[in-house]
Amino acid sequence: MRRVFLLVAATMLLVGAAAYAHHSYAATYDTAKEVKLAGKLMQFSFKNPHSYVTIQAPDAKGAMQRWAIEWAGTSQLANRGITQDTLKIGDEITIVGRPSRVPGEFKALMVNLKRPSDGFSWGSRPDDVVD
Amino acid sequence: MTYRTRLTARSALFAVALLITVTAFAQGPARPGMPTEIASEWRLDSNEDPGAIGGQGQPPLGYYLGIPFNAAGRMRADTSAESIWGTPEYGCRPHSAPHQWRGLGGARILKEQDPLTREIKAYHIQFMRSLDWPIYMDGRPHPPAWAPHTWSGFSTGEWVGNTLKVTTTHLKDGYIRRGGPQTSDLYTMTDFITRHGDILTVVTVIDDPVYLDEPYIQSTTYTADLTGTTATENCNGSEFTENGGTDRHWVPHFLPGQNTALTEWLKNEPWVPEVASRGGLETVYPEYAATLNGSKKVSDLKVPASKSAITVDKQRSNQSPKDGEVHIQPVQGNIYMLVADGTNITVSAGPEGLLVVNTGTAPMSDKILAAIKQLSSSAIAAPTPNNCIGVNCPGTWGWAAPFLNTVISSPAPPKPIRYVINTSAAPEHIGGNQKIAAAGFFPRTAGFGAAVDNIGRSALVLSHENVLLKMSAKVPNQPAIPAVAMPSDTYFDEFRKLPEYFNGEAVILYHAPAANTDGDSLVFFRHSEVISAGNIYSTVSYPVIDLANGGTFQGVIKGLNKILDLAVAEIRGQGGTWVIPSHGRLSDTGDVASYRNTMTMIRDRVQDLIDKGMTLEQVKAAKPTMDFDGRYGSDTGPWTTAMFVEAVYKSLKEKK
Repeated sequence: MRRVFLLVAATMLLVGAAAYAHHSYAATYDTAKEVKLAGKLMQFSFKNPHSYVTIQAPDAKGAMQRWAIEWAGTSQLANRGITQDTLKIGDEITIVGRPSRVPGEFKALMVNLKRPSDGFSWGSRPDDVVD
Repeated sequence: MTYRTRLTARSALFAVALLITVTAFAQGPARPGMPTEIASEWRLDSNEDPGAIGGQGQPPLGYYLGIPFNAAGRMRADTSAESIWGTPEYGCRPHSAPHQWRGLGGARILKEQDPLTREIKAYHIQFMRSLDWPIYMDGRPHPPAWAPHTWSGFSTGEWVGNTLKVTTTHLKDGYIRRGGPQTSDLYTMTDFITRHGDILTVVTVIDDPVYLDEPYIQSTTYTADLTGTTATENCNGSEFTENGGTDRHWVPHFLPGQNTALTEWLKNEPWVPEVASRGGLETVYPEYAATLNGSKKVSDLKVPASKSAITVDKQRSNQSPKDGEVHIQPVQGNIYMLVADGTNITVSAGPEGLLVVNTGTAPMSDKILAAIKQLSSSAIAAPTPNNCIGVNCPGTWGWAAPFLNTVISSPAPPKPIRYVINTSAAPEHIGGNQKIAAAGFFPRTAGFGAAVDNIGRSALVLSHENVLLKMSAKVPNQPAIPAVAMPSDTYFDEFRKLPEYFNGEAVILYHAPAANTDGDSLVFFRHSEVISAGNIYSTVSYPVIDLANGGTFQGVIKGLNKILDLAVAEIRGQGGTWVIPSHGRLSDTGDVASYRNTMTMIRDRVQDLIDKGMTLEQVKAAKPTMDFDGRYGSDTGPWTTAMFVEAVYKSLKEKK
């Protein structure tokens, strides 16, 4: 019986504190896998509920694809000093992401982003996670 | 034992909610006119979603515990992909109605009162990612079944003791729980909202017999938050697809059996039997535990299943009732939808007259004409109110005080039908041509007096030329269609626009090649923002594909994508451009996207089976449409599921 109450209480606490994304990351992305991409920034959409980075980078077979990388919302990025001007179209960047679970989809959840030209990076601090 | 514990925990939570509700009842009925005050800001406290398992309240794939799925519901959940949020049509949609109560940001409840009587006319509930959700308390009826569905639906409320009972219909399809479990668009939702001090308990009953063997019940608890403010999150829709790639019509989904992640979460929760994780009516009840140790079979269980209050076939047929009547549904701008005995007719009514898209079946012609005349009299010819006072008011002949004209003048005579457009040669599209075109008048003679000339007096009938070819072909033992019913003007390429505005707007016909037939058109009213979709889109059946007359399944999907390319939502994936199907309810981009998604999933499934070398019979046996059959399929009638699957198979096999 004690376990029952603990379970209920824990569920209530966790759910109450949760910050919901509008979709489920666990269901969208395979969080056990990584995809590494290097290419040119095609679009940076600084928006809510989540920002997106589009880069042109090769897939596993070497074919160039447009990859959509889901990033954090505007408030969370702003807390790290990131604005809509932080990334420029044409920037050469590298990204590590969690790939989509859907076969054939060129999409990932941002784990970290680096811009070698000036050393800018995101994803190195403990709170640099998409939530 | 552990599973029983889990079930007990869930039952305990629900029991607490019920107990509190019962306690509130025990305090005695509310005084008439003095319902419990529920208007406040409310902070989300708790619910049964598996926050402890999925992380941050996000259920993992395959977490179906507690959901009384039927087989279709389970298949639909297994094959749905959360990436659907990344499609252009769904990127800004709010949470589905059952989940709105559980989304980030709490809830705000407002009340709308009559300023004189102080009666509560409505409650309005707002969430961070929703539009305003009105709950009408004034006794108004729910709209007819052919009216549009929205993400929040249409709600009416009544106080039952200290509990506000809210009944919601006209909901779009969505999800019960994030990460897979879906609803159809035929479900209803009943909320029981009870306040106890600073606690608000919401018990929600989701009744969806398309996917559930019994209604699903969930509860959510809030705490009054007098210093809180329910935020609004702007959704800045993107012009590019958030799913990557370059195909703007990409529909993410899993083929049956392809979703291998459904049991991943059980690695961390080994005490949950996999068979129980799949949901189902029996798994919801404690008696199910006896089947896990082998002491009972599932088939031997007797559980007290609740019955659905919904009859699916009736819900579907009511959207396009065959009742021998014509119902007028205003749409937007100049446009009206006539619901005419199982088929819809689109009418543009304005100062230049009437344009009619499709003419219904022949036996309904007189009633359709009467409805059009009624529309013409009430919408066009009625005296218009005058907003100008004095002799300098422009544009009015007659009295110096022009409002007198509106008082003493007889209504102008109804305007004539100028155009008839046939979106195909289907009987319900051309059946009334003869009477309705003959009742119209398109001026064909030049020179003074042409307006009263009777030469060639009939409406102009316009269609793709393949419709004319079909209608003019000789059919043994059938009389030829009279000339007045034939298209008098046709087009042959990708589109045809009327050369000038009609009723103040551009009207454009787009050809949908090799769709239901080889002659289908979409009709776009560019200022009213309405698309008459013909047979390409339906809310009551799978698309009818006439292979013998040039139809293909791929063409239907392309036609649906064309609609989505033209249409723009007003906000959050609903409203904006309205779409009138030939059969079914008035729709918007969210509805057409759902139908397109369904057809794309079916295409990919059948193609996969073809690629595996399956014959038609093998494909039918694999039931690739099983999760949609309850919504769109039929075992009887002129267009059965088997006929549809055969048409899909042949279309894909021939790669037209």
